[in-house]
Amino acid sequence: MKNRIYCPKTLDESTFENLINQLDEIGVDFGMSVTIDLSKAQFIDPYGILGLLEIGRYLSEKVLSLSLILPHSEEVIKYMERLDFFKIASELFSLDLDDAWPQESFLRSSHSDVLLETRKIEGTDDIHNLVEEVRQRAETILTTHLKYDANAIDSFVVALSEVCQNIPEHSEDVGYVGIQKYFYGKKLGKNIVKIAVMDLGIGIRESLTPKYASSVKNWSDLAAINLALFKGASRFDDPGRGQGLTQVRKLVERWKGKLMIRSGTARSGIVPPWQISRPKRSSLKNFPGTQISIILPEKFS
Amino acid sequence: MKNEIKKYRIVDLMEENLTNGSKNIVTRETGRIIREAIEIKIQKEQEEMIIILDFSGIGIIDFSCADEVAAKFIARLNLKEYGDKYLLFSGLTPSQEENITAALEKKKLSLLSLKEDGGWKLMGILNPYLKDTLDLVMERKSLTARELADLTGVEINSASTKLLNLNKARLAIRMREALPNGGRQFVYRSLISSS
Repeated sequence: MKNRIYCPKTLDESTFENLINQLDEIGVDFGMSVTIDLSKAQFIDPYGILGLLEIGRYLSEKVLSLSLILPHSEEVIKYMERLDFFKIASELFSLDLDDAWPQESFLRSSHSDVLLETRKIEGTDDIHNLVEEVRQRAETILTTHLKYDANAIDSFVVALSEVCQNIPEHSEDVGYVGIQKYFYGKKLGKNIVKIAVMDLGIGIRESLTPKYASSVKNWSDLAAINLALFKGASRFDDPGRGQGLTQVRKLVERWKGKLMIRSGTARSGIVPPWQISRPKRSSLKNFPGTQISIILPEKFS
Repeated sequence: MKNEIKKYRIVDLMEENLTNGSKNIVTRETGRIIREAIEIKIQKEQEEMIIILDFSGIGIIDFSCADEVAAKFIARLNLKEYGDKYLLFSGLTPSQEENITAALEKKKLSLLSLKEDGGWKLMGILNPYLKDTLDLVMERKSLTARELADLTGVEINSASTKLLNLNKARLAIRMREALPNGGRQFVYRSLISSS
């Protein structure tokens, strides 16, 4: 039995739910062949890239066969290639690259807006490596386009380190991270940086359940995310644990950025004045693990 | 009499104990390794030594590392798990200071950071009444309970308690001094003037 999931024109944090809903509608079983159709995609950001990979990982263990139809847009294909999507996706999906692949070869520009191609996070060594890499590569982009000073760049890298650490420390899974700079002309008239971090691990609720479920009324995915994000909750008793995410939230608030965490059936976060979005939502279709989106704007003068 | 001082350079400890060659202190695991390396060294030092942890040349310190290297370490130092010793940090960037402060505040701890110009900064949380006392000790380089009582108009018992609490927080050195009349008193010394 063939089933198809259609990617919307724009695939980012706000439209990822569309894919999850379709996943839920088709219902997943071992006899299936599933195709993810990207033909209509016009824009995919790091969150969309990672989301596709995580859906691929999720389905690859559960269905008979999994394939991907490439975008018709050459620009989107080139972008996905720059983010190293196909390098990882080829291990998860059957891909027919010949037909849709752009005719002329293209080189990665040294002036790319990509701060970090899609990277796998398995252990703490991966975090050391990505911190080194981002510090070396990102300085020019962050200084020139986002007007960050040395202190702000350090804070940016610390935030990245903290959100990525949750993967080896809590998720019991591997994960991915990707970072890209954009210009938000209509919404903001400023440059922004998008960071996406995802895993298919145990999720925040399961991580906190042993310690909090019996004492928190209406224990849920939403309650768990809020505890982690706003109260520094951790499955560990040491009061020094669980502060990474809270400190990242404070940093994002200070910089008037956006932070959204999706886990299980809920999402929560902080939304800046320049965005219109419901920060807290529950009763979403269940998807394993934790998916984090951070958007940091150019410094407001 | 001045206390003995030793400086531990974190870059050296990282080179000795980590294999990744990084100058950034990120992840809790890295923080734990560095903390344990410091603990091994400090346990061998003589009593009343002042240890300066120098962070010059270090890149970023994330919150998890700051909790391991600063907060956990200070908590144990204050309980005298390493003996009767004192600690200062030096060579910190503003970003590193901010993250270390956040880690200390969470556990209601405090620590002095030595500035390049010879000045100092308190990181973390200290009760206001102890903060005032610390300012006086740092300004005057040393203070007795009698002197504090006279300066602030409090009872000598109260002054003595404040100074003792400052010492327990490892923010002032407590020394016994002989008086001309043959008696003894405790003098509380600034960590900076003793270093």
